[in-house]
Amino acid sequence: MTNPAKKRLSLHLRIWRQSRTDEAGEFRDYQLQDISPDMSFLEMLDILNQQLIEQGEAPVAFDHDCREGICGTCGMMINGQAHGPDHETTTCQLHMRHFNDGDTIIIEPWRARAFPVLRDLIVNRSAFDRIIQAGGYVSIKTGQAPEGNANLIPQQHQEGSLDAAACIGCGACVAACKNASAMLFTAAKVSHFVQLPQGAPERTKRVLAMINQHDEEGFGACTNTSECEAACPAAVSVSHIARLNREYLKAMLTATD
Amino acid sequence: MNWLMNALSSSVGRKFVMALTGLFLCLFLVIHLAGNLLLYVGPETYGNYAHALHEQKAFLLLSQVLLYSAFLLHIFLAFRLTASNVTARFVSYRKKASKRDDRVVASVVAPEAWMFRSGAIVLLFLIVHLTDFKFEFGWGEVLAGQTPYGKAGVILRDFGRAIIYALGSVALGVHVSHGLASAFQSLGVSHPKYNGCVKWSSVAFGWIVAVGFASFPVIWALTAAPPSQTQPATHAQPASQVQPDAPHTHALPI
Repeated sequence: MTNPAKKRLSLHLRIWRQSRTDEAGEFRDYQLQDISPDMSFLEMLDILNQQLIEQGEAPVAFDHDCREGICGTCGMMINGQAHGPDHETTTCQLHMRHFNDGDTIIIEPWRARAFPVLRDLIVNRSAFDRIIQAGGYVSIKTGQAPEGNANLIPQQHQEGSLDAAACIGCGACVAACKNASAMLFTAAKVSHFVQLPQGAPERTKRVLAMINQHDEEGFGACTNTSECEAACPAAVSVSHIARLNREYLKAMLTATD
Repeated sequence: MNWLMNALSSSVGRKFVMALTGLFLCLFLVIHLAGNLLLYVGPETYGNYAHALHEQKAFLLLSQVLLYSAFLLHIFLAFRLTASNVTARFVSYRKKASKRDDRVVASVVAPEAWMFRSGAIVLLFLIVHLTDFKFEFGWGEVLAGQTPYGKAGVILRDFGRAIIYALGSVALGVHVSHGLASAFQSLGVSHPKYNGCVKWSSVAFGWIVAVGFASFPVIWALTAAPPSQTQPATHAQPASQVQPDAPHTHALPI
């Protein structure tokens, strides 16, 4: 049984336009007509871009890849909310049925010193890559697949680790945090590894190195507002930040190098 | 000790220090409020408490050193953290909205959004409080020879001071209502069984602190005669006109 179709939408878009990192940007206004409520938000932007191309104007640049909500590539501030008004949803999985006919939608890129704008709504998130490079790995010998029962892992640890591993690195936590802190992202990576036996040997140096890199990238500190958790499309909990804090405290007191 | 300084100077390490000093200051607030509540018992009980406290010289010295250190560290790190947090955002959003469904009040007026500002108000209040009660700065001879109860009465009956003390107490309550729970999270003390209890205890503590401390200036202001009649020209009053035992006659009607 299908719901009666919602009325097609006329929208007023106010979008951040910036041609390069080192150039000043500005908001520009666009009108869109006849938008289906069943479209995804990115499909709505595709329609806008088609319209802009036909008018001879540069299309709005935005990141996207899988459009299935799992790759973490897309992401933008929609009316002041990371990935828009829906919960546990990426921008590509946000549908236009969440908006009303005649709405004004303000679209901005993630704002953080560590995420410089490359163009329009695309930001450079390689700061996340460098945090992972600093310690988000395990050093193991590769080769034959190990015996499945060689390392017994309690089910609750597996689940806890996978909850953290659900992080798709989209940057919504940074965008939503009033301090532009990447603590939820960093905590997810630390918590992912530390709950598994394979991650235990490097737990001390990992947390110290990742926090050091987090700070060097210019992210802010956590003020425990839990806005990151609410904005996270993968529902990563702030309890992982508490685990990160415990790990950091232990590492601080016991690190030998 | 380089390892310790390095570890504590990171964003997580600074929050540890903020949490530890904050929890210590919350403990101080509990003791301070408990002592102040003796004002409601009467001048004699409050005076005995004050005298007994001041007779413990070594304890008092140690407490003051710890308290001032905690205050200075907490305030210093508040400035450092706020500066780096503001820099981290770099460009602010045209529009910002919360996605938290459990918000009781809007995010822009929530205590956690006001930690630096409420802390700054508390700092100003603290400066006034210390200059009044500890250094007796600006009171001339009015406070000379007063009992501890009488001194509190004179200061709290000053209309300007009553406003400052009431607002300062409310700001303090707002500050700790987020700060207490936040300190537990910053120290990694988190468990689904207890998180709700910690959160609501923190809010309750904020209310107790705000109402408890604000009650003194409010009740004094409501029960006393207008300041002009009880303490004419407080600051300029000659010592000869001061009635050292006058406040004893104004026991609180509780």
